[in-house]
Amino acid sequence: MAKSAEQTTSQSHDLRQILRASMDALLVPLLAVLTAMILGGLVIAFAGGNPIYAYLGLFQGAFGSTKALSETAVWATPYIFAGLAVALAFKGGLFNIGAEGQLAFGAVVSALIGYALPDLLGISLPAIIHIPLAVGGGMLAGALWAAIPGALKAYTGGHEVINTIMMNYIALNMTSFLLNAPMKDPNPLNVVARTPSIAESARIPPLFEGFRVHWGFALALLVAFLVWWLLWKTTLGFEIRTVGANPDAAKYAGINVKRTIVLTMALSGLLAGLAGTIEVTALNYRHELGFSVGYGFDAIAIALLGKTHPLGVVIAAILFGAMRNGATRMQFLTQIPVDIISVIQALILLLVAAEAIIRYLYRLRAREERVVLTRGWGG
Amino acid sequence: MKKLYFVIALLLVASMVLAACGGAPSEADCTKADVFCVGMVTDVGKIDDKSFNQSTWEGVKQAESDLGAIVQYIETTDSKDYAKNISTFADAGYDVIVTVGFALGEATAAAAVQYPDVDFIGVDQFQAWQYDEDTTNDIANLAGLVFPEDQAGFLVGALAAQMTKSKKIGGVFGTDVVPPVWRFGEGYRAGAMYINPDIEIFIVYHSDVGFDKTFTDPEWGAATANSMIDKDADVIFGGGGKTGNGAVTAAAQRGVYAIGVDTDQYYTLPEAAPRLLSSALKLLTPGTFDLIKLAKEGSFPSGNFLGKGGYAPYHDLDAEVPAEVKAKMEEINAALLDGSLQTNVPPVKP
Repeated sequence: MAKSAEQTTSQSHDLRQILRASMDALLVPLLAVLTAMILGGLVIAFAGGNPIYAYLGLFQGAFGSTKALSETAVWATPYIFAGLAVALAFKGGLFNIGAEGQLAFGAVVSALIGYALPDLLGISLPAIIHIPLAVGGGMLAGALWAAIPGALKAYTGGHEVINTIMMNYIALNMTSFLLNAPMKDPNPLNVVARTPSIAESARIPPLFEGFRVHWGFALALLVAFLVWWLLWKTTLGFEIRTVGANPDAAKYAGINVKRTIVLTMALSGLLAGLAGTIEVTALNYRHELGFSVGYGFDAIAIALLGKTHPLGVVIAAILFGAMRNGATRMQFLTQIPVDIISVIQALILLLVAAEAIIRYLYRLRAREERVVLTRGWGG
Repeated sequence: MKKLYFVIALLLVASMVLAACGGAPSEADCTKADVFCVGMVTDVGKIDDKSFNQSTWEGVKQAESDLGAIVQYIETTDSKDYAKNISTFADAGYDVIVTVGFALGEATAAAAVQYPDVDFIGVDQFQAWQYDEDTTNDIANLAGLVFPEDQAGFLVGALAAQMTKSKKIGGVFGTDVVPPVWRFGEGYRAGAMYINPDIEIFIVYHSDVGFDKTFTDPEWGAATANSMIDKDADVIFGGGGKTGNGAVTAAAQRGVYAIGVDTDQYYTLPEAAPRLLSSALKLLTPGTFDLIKLAKEGSFPSGNFLGKGGYAPYHDLDAEVPAEVKAKMEEINAALLDGSLQTNVPPVKP
């Protein structure tokens, strides 16, 4: 009797501790968002707009109707994938700035499989084969694109920040070349750099008739769960986190550090590739220049805001998606340029990254544990 | 924690005060029948891009001042938002929605089917139902605003023929398989011949390569322009995307007169601006306004609506253009507009 009472107390104590820990983890990002919105409001007021109406429009546009909710989910989908990509790399101690390039490369490859494969084979593929081929191809392309800087890091010590940026330039310029030349929509009236439409059989259907939100959003939530499971419930995840926390200790413990680094980058690229792939197969049904500008960079902010935890990434991605989506209605109601959204997002990122500002501003105690972003240049 | 709440409360009060100073936006109910509202969705680009978006917006603004319309625009930041931005206007009860640029063509056509009570203007969106399988135009509430490229080409051709000293002029174009490009080129030829039937005209279309390359080959454009200048041509008209821009820039660098295309390229090709004599224009502003006016009057056309062509100001070279040339240009322009002068260029290459 006494024993069980003791157990209950310790259980409720555990629960309270978990709650406290998650409260503490959420507090800084929440306050950062709030502070950024207020500072953004000042910017809006300074530019001659009305912050309350602007935020009202933003909220209406993001959550005000079923259609708005659907569009927010549409925007959040690539953000979830790309945010998970950056977060996973962070867990492995790697700073993947290359999500943008991996995303573009994944989109190009899945568009190519989407429109060219049936003609190439001379048969029409059933959706059950064509969709996995297009999605899988895009994922592999992203993984390959990220594995290169991963291998450079593991075997030559070349820093992944520099190399992923360089790989971005290569991917984005190559995409521009491909969409302007060999893969350009051959319709003689077409003047835009874009591929032909992908075949019907490669298209991921919407979740509900009449709305654009598609199965890719459900997949994004599932993948977020899988990433959590991978990181905390598998040996590979343990290895990734150990290498991220302390590569020397990991090596001493018998973990193949070089292999883990390449694998972490490849997995990260796979997720980024998925972001581009889903946009092509579930939403745009083609790849076009002018899409996905900056998703890979927003993803860094999302991963940081989400404290590199999959659940946090999902929440942060929905927040960023809501802001991007609501911006249309905000602009429509108040005629405030949509660029203000970028200002607010940058402020959020700044405040999350420089946590000390928020802690000072709201007189919060410092936490002992800190997020390891990336090791120094020599690491 | 108390301090925390205090700070938050303070910030909230501050934002309220700010809101009170901001003033309410003018609310207009576009769903009412007597309120005429016009919305414009930009291409991925800014409203003040000194190109298609801006010129179209000026037409919409004219509808505001002349027709008393409520006007509003949405800038698109990502191509996946085209459909959403269009439906933002449609759902708010707007009467006319203007979409700018070829890239919005599909989204505009889809929205026109979805919202049959709204009139849609697709700027530079050629309606190609004639080439569809059933060859019927089943979208009655969509008009593509297209332009008489031959007239714009004719104007700058006439200008080139009057400004040349060597009596040799050149034109560098994308493929002649695309009708608008061919009409620019042949209009240019016709305009030059109209001034001086004996003039020597070098016109080259980049038809030797595929569609993938014909508009994106500035090196070829520059090389072709240079070879024409080597043969004494002293005015070069470049038309056809980056290929044409390459020719215009090369001509400006060699110090001969350069002529741009589509919009006033004085603003879009700064490296060529000092030697840019003029540009063959698609007049988006009056075309947009005319269509909005027709929509207001209830006689909105469907299919393709032919706007007007024109030529851009001389800018930096204004002093070099003699008064009689300026007068002649105005005379030709007026004659083309009232139909008393024909370019005699067929719609497509025979």
